[in-house]
Amino acid sequence: MRSSAVNPGSAAEVATEAFAAAFSASSTPMVLTDPSKHDNPIVWANDAFLALTGYDRHEIEGRNCRMLQGEASDPTTIRQIRDSISAETQLEVELFNYRKDGSRFWNAMTITPVRDEAGNLRYYFAAQADMTEKHRLETALKGANDDLERQVQARTADLLAALEQKTALLHEVDHRVKNNLQVISSLMLLKARRTPEGEARDALQGMAERIGALSTAHRMLYSEGDVTRFNLQDFAADFLSDLTAGVDTDRMAINAEIDAVAVSAAMAAPLALMMHELATNALRHAFPDNREGRLTISARRRDGGLNIRIEDDGVGISAGVPNPAGFGRSLVDMVVRQLRGTIDWDEHGPGTRVEIKIPLDAATLSGSTS
Amino acid sequence: MTGVIPDKAIDGALRILVVEDEALIALELECLLDDLGHVTIGVVGNSQEAIALGRSAAPDVALVDIHLIDGPTGIEVARALSADQRTTVVFMTANSKRIPPDFAGAFGVIAKPYSERAVANALHYVAERRAGRTPPPEGLDGFRLAAMPEGETEFGAEGTGPDLRH
Repeated sequence: MRSSAVNPGSAAEVATEAFAAAFSASSTPMVLTDPSKHDNPIVWANDAFLALTGYDRHEIEGRNCRMLQGEASDPTTIRQIRDSISAETQLEVELFNYRKDGSRFWNAMTITPVRDEAGNLRYYFAAQADMTEKHRLETALKGANDDLERQVQARTADLLAALEQKTALLHEVDHRVKNNLQVISSLMLLKARRTPEGEARDALQGMAERIGALSTAHRMLYSEGDVTRFNLQDFAADFLSDLTAGVDTDRMAINAEIDAVAVSAAMAAPLALMMHELATNALRHAFPDNREGRLTISARRRDGGLNIRIEDDGVGISAGVPNPAGFGRSLVDMVVRQLRGTIDWDEHGPGTRVEIKIPLDAATLSGSTS
Repeated sequence: MTGVIPDKAIDGALRILVVEDEALIALELECLLDDLGHVTIGVVGNSQEAIALGRSAAPDVALVDIHLIDGPTGIEVARALSADQRTTVVFMTANSKRIPPDFAGAFGVIAKPYSERAVANALHYVAERRAGRTPPPEGLDGFRLAAMPEGETEFGAEGTGPDLRH
């Protein structure tokens, strides 16, 4: 670098030499061109620049920087550089450049016009950086992203197929369960038809009715929406119309108040069986000799649980035939225990009142009432 | 609650074809139909026999399961038998999801597992409709009518289900 403009030995000259030494030793490739000379040739380059391009100093000094360009150099970027140089403005660009050995690299350069104290253009200074690795990483990253996206798509397709299969399987199992319940019920009723009137026949018909209650519960499952929930209100509507159809409505009044509560599907069968036992027991035993009466059934959400109350104004259990409701009653006790609930039989009459409290799971309590 | 069922049959006996491949279900259904005062004209378990018997006997009602011995062919049976104006087709299936939107010409569906009362109610309803009457749609639980053709709701104020008079 020429230093004729400053006095030898002055502070300015020391500074200039220090800068020159620093630039020469810098690991950032740098080059200086002189636009006052023909074709703006390279007048200085540091060792880092030589190392980057693979040229010897004498091979590049006096030549224009375009010697580094080649086929892959983007013409638009080259035009940008030319325009910036003629406008004497600063520019940052990235361009494919070629080394002496023909290999190419992404060259990120900052080209800055350098002016003297009077503001006249003296040099162009360009600092470079090899961006090849960065570009390679970017490409690799994009490739990896594309690959990931493909994998996610493939996985999603797999999952959808699996879900479809699972849904088909659920329908198939549901169909079989319903069909089997129908077969069991038909079997019981067939046998009942061929059994002479009496205790055995009553027992068979009683069993068929229990299966009927379970069937009603099962019909409500999987019929729509959330397969994990069982809507007690829907069940009760069906169950009650079944119950009402079996009684003389002039003599008997059945009232029901059932809250809309969607309990866990696992509770469907025990709840159905329990309500069936309690209601049919009351109808069968509380009103002998065409006694008139009233049966009230309620199911309410209360204090983190379900309160079920079945109340009649009949003769009361103690007044009935000895142990009339024996099996039904122990069934109910068992089912309530299974549901971790409590049961309270109040037979001090008139009539019988049964109160059951069943804890509900968190999902039921926080969730839908539909 | 079998005690109440015979009352429902007072509106006259129906000649019924039972299309059901499960022998036990078919047998019990036959007994039930008998209790209700109806006449079972035949029990068949595959689609070809069902269609053949249906065409030759022209029953009042065909109770059709969807899954038969030869596969889910109950739909075809319903389509073939409902082509005859004299026959009212009612599905009896545990697989209502398989029923096409147009019900294959069927009048409705009794969902399995059904109660005897549901069957009695459904047949009573069908008999009323065939007689040109429009019974109230209450107590049809377990029995669902086919969708209405002219955007009528299932339980519209006027008649429900396809017109069965002829």
